[in-house]
Amino acid sequence: MHNSFIARNPSVLWFLAALGLFTFGVTLLSEATGIGLISTSFVKTLGKTLCLCLIAIAMDVVWGYCGILSLGHFAFFGIGGYAIGMWLMYARTETIVLSSLAGQTIPATPQEISDAIGNQIFGVVGSSEFPLIWAFSDSLVLQLAMVVLIPGLLALVFGWLAFRSRVTGVYLSILTQAMTLALSLYLFQNDSGLRGNNGLSGLQNIPGFEATPQATISIIFFLASAFALGAGYVFFAWVISGKMGSVVQGIRDNEARVRFLGYQVEGYKLFIFTITAIVSGIAGALYYPQAGIINPGEIAPIASIYLAVWVAIGGRGRLYGAVIGAAFVSLLSSWFTGGGAPDINLGFYTIQWTDWWLVLLGLSFVIVTLYFPKGIGGLFDYLVRKPS
Amino acid sequence: MGGATIRAATLPKYPEFPMRLLLSALFFMLSALASSAQDLQSLLQENAAQIAKPSRTSIGIVLDQMVATGLPQVPAFLEEWSDKNVWQDEATGLFYIATEGDDVLTLTDIDTGAQTTAPVDGFQQLKPNGGVRRVIGTALVQFQLIDPDTTRRTAALESIARRPEASQLAPLIASLDGEADPVLRTRKANLITILSARFAEDPADRIAAIEKLAQETSVETRAVLNQILATKPGVATELPEANIAVQHDPMTDPDGFYAALVAADLAQPLTTPAAIRAAMEAHIVDGRVGDVPVAQLHTDAARARAYAALAAAGTVPPLLGEPERNNALRSHVFYDAYIEDDPAITAAARRALDQVENAVALAQTVDLGLDALSLASIYFLAAIGLAITFGVMGVINMAHGEFIMMGAYTGYVIQLFIPDYTIAILVALPVAFAITFAAGVTMERLVIRHLYHRPLETLLATFGISIALQQLAKNIFGTQARPLTSPAWLDGAWIISDVIQISYIRIAIFFMALFFLALILYILKRTRLGLEVRAVTQNPGMAASMGINPDRINMLTFGLGSGIAGIAGVAIGLYAKVTSEMGADYIVQSFMTVVVGGVGNVWGTLAGASLIGGLQKGIEWFNPSNTLAAQTYMILFIILFIQFRPKGIVALKGRAAAD
Amino acid sequence: MRLSTRLPALTMASLLVTTAIASAECADPIKVGVLHSLSGTMAISETTLKDTMLMLIDQQNAAGGVLGCEIEAVVVDPASDWPLFAEKARELLTVHEVDVIFGNWTSVSRKSVLPVIEELNGLLFYPVQYEGEESSKNVFYTGAAPNQQAIPATDYFLEELGVEKFALLGTDYVYPRTTNNILESYLQDKGIPAEDIFVNYTPFGHSDWATIVADVVALGEDGKQVGVISTINGDANIGFYKELAAAGISADDIPVVAFSVGEEELSGLDTSNLVGHLAAWNYFQSAESDANEEWVTAWKAFAGEERVTNDPMEAHYIGFNMWVNAVTAAETTDVDAVRTAMYGQEFPNLTGGTAVMLPNHHLAKPVLIGEITADGQFDIISQTSEVPGDAWTDFLPESAVLVSDWKDLGCGMYNTETETCVQLTSNY
Repeated sequence: MHNSFIARNPSVLWFLAALGLFTFGVTLLSEATGIGLISTSFVKTLGKTLCLCLIAIAMDVVWGYCGILSLGHFAFFGIGGYAIGMWLMYARTETIVLSSLAGQTIPATPQEISDAIGNQIFGVVGSSEFPLIWAFSDSLVLQLAMVVLIPGLLALVFGWLAFRSRVTGVYLSILTQAMTLALSLYLFQNDSGLRGNNGLSGLQNIPGFEATPQATISIIFFLASAFALGAGYVFFAWVISGKMGSVVQGIRDNEARVRFLGYQVEGYKLFIFTITAIVSGIAGALYYPQAGIINPGEIAPIASIYLAVWVAIGGRGRLYGAVIGAAFVSLLSSWFTGGGAPDINLGFYTIQWTDWWLVLLGLSFVIVTLYFPKGIGGLFDYLVRKPS
Repeated sequence: MGGATIRAATLPKYPEFPMRLLLSALFFMLSALASSAQDLQSLLQENAAQIAKPSRTSIGIVLDQMVATGLPQVPAFLEEWSDKNVWQDEATGLFYIATEGDDVLTLTDIDTGAQTTAPVDGFQQLKPNGGVRRVIGTALVQFQLIDPDTTRRTAALESIARRPEASQLAPLIASLDGEADPVLRTRKANLITILSARFAEDPADRIAAIEKLAQETSVETRAVLNQILATKPGVATELPEANIAVQHDPMTDPDGFYAALVAADLAQPLTTPAAIRAAMEAHIVDGRVGDVPVAQLHTDAARARAYAALAAAGTVPPLLGEPERNNALRSHVFYDAYIEDDPAITAAARRALDQVENAVALAQTVDLGLDALSLASIYFLAAIGLAITFGVMGVINMAHGEFIMMGAYTGYVIQLFIPDYTIAILVALPVAFAITFAAGVTMERLVIRHLYHRPLETLLATFGISIALQQLAKNIFGTQARPLTSPAWLDGAWIISDVIQISYIRIAIFFMALFFLALILYILKRTRLGLEVRAVTQNPGMAASMGINPDRINMLTFGLGSGIAGIAGVAIGLYAKVTSEMGADYIVQSFMTVVVGGVGNVWGTLAGASLIGGLQKGIEWFNPSNTLAAQTYMILFIILFIQFRPKGIVALKGRAAAD
Repeated sequence: MRLSTRLPALTMASLLVTTAIASAECADPIKVGVLHSLSGTMAISETTLKDTMLMLIDQQNAAGGVLGCEIEAVVVDPASDWPLFAEKARELLTVHEVDVIFGNWTSVSRKSVLPVIEELNGLLFYPVQYEGEESSKNVFYTGAAPNQQAIPATDYFLEELGVEKFALLGTDYVYPRTTNNILESYLQDKGIPAEDIFVNYTPFGHSDWATIVADVVALGEDGKQVGVISTINGDANIGFYKELAAAGISADDIPVVAFSVGEEELSGLDTSNLVGHLAAWNYFQSAESDANEEWVTAWKAFAGEERVTNDPMEAHYIGFNMWVNAVTAAETTDVDAVRTAMYGQEFPNLTGGTAVMLPNHHLAKPVLIGEITADGQFDIISQTSEVPGDAWTDFLPESAVLVSDWKDLGCGMYNTETETCVQLTSNY
């Protein structure tokens, strides 16, 4: 079974080898080992990019393989980030509060401790009470469970409602977009109890590792992200290469025909929708401790559209395509907007890439859609396949 | 002063008036004598500090003195002062009325009217703030009320409405007969009723005026009635003899009422957890507080025990907790008493206010309905282009919002070249249509044509165009919002009452939406083009074999949808803002409008816009302090709605409904 | 259309060239990081501040630089993306090794940068009015704290205009939320009952204001003078003021004082219907002083004739000059030495008077209240003497007991009741 899986998917081995090599190289050259050719801030960027690659392959499975153009997967990514962020914030603040209360003559009651933590976390947004939503924030295990459970449950309920009513195609896309819009508007409210527009910040300071330099922490998260990406890649490759994968791709190509063949189309779609949501949640939980801050702007509809853009540019229907698309576009984006690209002086006008990069991206996107529907991944076909 | 006596003679109805006038005349003369100066400048100099830096609370006395001089130049000075046209010479401290030119002031002497010029340096402009200007306005009332200039009389009435005073009632009544302007006459009568309700001497007059007020819904009316019904909270052991408005049950808000009790010095504050903690800290003896080891004081129960022990020993005051609080509350009465002593008047005002409030509630519902209608028409206008491109052709155009933006910027650019706003708008509408029509046709030719069989990819390609256009707009126009100003005749609002009003620009948008609804229905249902569009939509192959050119039809339809988006952009820019991101604000909303309404049907879009607009206003009404929540719940509703009615409100039946 | 913003970029390029020549004798060039969004939603406000910094550095170099070295500007673009602010701050401090950072606009971007600055012991000058309730050892807050803007404006409403009923309208984010919380508590202290305070929050970029304006008008129904305190942010103001003008609400009936509307924001509006409405800041372009005249002239020459100056620009002006003086006094750019030298630094305000850097990292600055004029400027009608900025407000019970004193107490969050330092890092 295992042999046949690898045999059917030679790209998995290639991918794992490339990922391993890349990870090893970056780790070796990072500041954590003392060589320091790659700065900590760039290690963080690379680590974050790996997380984006992970959600991109989830997107590829749900869109490229199952035909559901979800414009809401970043909502799950954000929920994962919020779930882990709540623990990070709570635990960090608890350490600070306990050490400051320890100096007092009278030992503090649990209520006083909780009030002090609440005041620290919510004082910034003018409140000090703990909302109900933070009930489990003191437990890492429970919050980690939520990273998986909340995106999973939300996807399950949302998917069940939508697929049951046979909402398909463009309608489903708009519905998923409405979902992420509703979630981000909800989180924008201060009353939501998640600090509104400020979101959760200071997430790069891991409780219990205060003494560890960020150079080391960044490498740990980089390795964890690489591992998650590798594991996710193998998992999804396995899912789509089996019988299940065939049915799912059948649904993409002709849903009615698969249904008439007696398959529970809704069940398959729901399964794919839910597991990709869970993987997105995990990717988010790894991403935000590296980014340092999560706020509702992160899950605005535009983010999910960009996700679709990455997958389309990288090449749908092939997992490595999604990885290439996400890594290529997001790194290129940060290179151009970061002022890394030299300005082009036309004499009468200077093209500054900070201004023109989005125009270029938008147009290149149109061109890819029109003329290279297989994306960058399509190039591999020319290389690998012999002309027949 | 001669004028005043004449006025008094015309007023036999109010016998106390001449008496009062006499008194004030006497006061005027006395004060005129007191200030030996007979010119305004010397009076101003006596109060120079007050004039230069006036304050709302203290300027009244100086104003009274100025008015009391009876000098003819006083009203003019007050008006100029209020308009920030008075300057002070920093060297001499003298005040002048002045107009500013290029670094030069044209000075007018306050008393003589002699004109001189001087450089601006060395002079300080006086800038009385809004509060002071209101007091000056009140002082000017007596001069302006019978002024031949209508604008001055209007200003006087505005001042009275802003700061009603008992002393204004009599002059106002006196000026009523001589009023020629019918609008001002009505307004005067109206103000007389309002002032009488509060200030008339005879209770019967007041009640009559109050009853008259019951017919109106204006904010002023409600203000008067509410002021008559103003109450003061009180607490006592027994209900006192007073005009009691309401007696409260303290247990509805025990802590609040207990706080009132504490504030009235009728009770001690409750022992707070912080006080208990402080007591613990203050009384640690050998590592124990009242026999409880300090290390154990991390629970409320242990602290309560320790505190009880301390209280028993008499070191701290006894614990005041909930039982003590409730006892104290039960042994007192809490009430609100009217400040007005006469129960007949408060009863009449109560009746009148109840009546007014019923009318206001009705009017508010109507107003909310108008707002909902206006919001629906804005959504409709933003979505109607989409209803054609998406609804009829099935093309997802994510750049639709950017067409709206292009229309708005077109309006802005045209206003740069045509200074007359009316002409600018009239030019902008067709030009915006033309530009976005062209953009739409170009996009259809270059991009969408190749993607008719891949609808999801149209979504992505047009999204690419959308971000490119948005950034392009930023590069050209900058990130700042640009002004798009409506012509003067669209300024202001249609005011039915103080409660029901809607701005003209919104009315214009409403009619624009109606016009385009009619236009599109006409084009689709009654013209050759519409017939061909519908044929191509239903079956392009068959339509082509009937001699219709589907390429041309698709191009025109897409252009039409885009062009309407451009016109919507001009309209939206007029009432809100013109920024490069304005399109993004409307795109998701517009898609939802079309989807909720039902694809492929213009009526459906209308229904969708009405539902979304109405719903949003409805939710806002339930929770007026949080607009964001209203938007969230509305989207949740839409998500659920689509689950149960996936084809929208107006679902197509039969073959046209096939995907 | 945006030629004007290209100009500074060109000058920057030429500036870098001259720096390379001049710093030959200067072993370690002095680098100033500029961390303002040049793209995205905040670019509208922050680009101006980037230009301001480039102009200030230009001027300083023309005057001989600092410690004999030319100053080199390192400009990065965090693109209005909050996590990117943290990333770029780290890049500035570790890759470019800047000596000081001038930057940020929104509170959330500051909160994003804080942990990085504190971890790497950087130095940040933050130029925008903000909600307070924060004190970082590594940040100097040159904008207004609530007691330097919101509280004096509210006092003006209470005392000068006699407002008895308040509508607090804000955009739903941390600055309006915290400011309104403070104001609610302050107004209740002043005897305004809770039911006379109407609070409303709207999303960013809100455009449908008809109902809210109607609600505000209806507040007048009990005959009390109504006033609006607006913390509405950015372009949402345009729709709000348009609706206000359409409803015919004059400043004499219902005055509106805004904390986030300055000269820049008014340029997107026709202000003829808004004359008399108010704004509270520490600086207006119309301030009458020789220093300000010079500054406005220099700015227009640098950036373009149609450009306006505003409050955060003055904050950078004061902050940068104080930093230069502190570096000169400390004879090094070492962060800890400069920080110590910063306390007590004095520099003349553009509005007259002197700004002083306090041990709580805030400035003492005068508070100005201006009325909007028909030409999009402000007519200053009230100016206080210097008000010392307060990191922790006195009007919220949890914060009233806290003080910040980095000079003597060495603590930004010191509880005066228990006499302990709550924490050394800031709360983010």
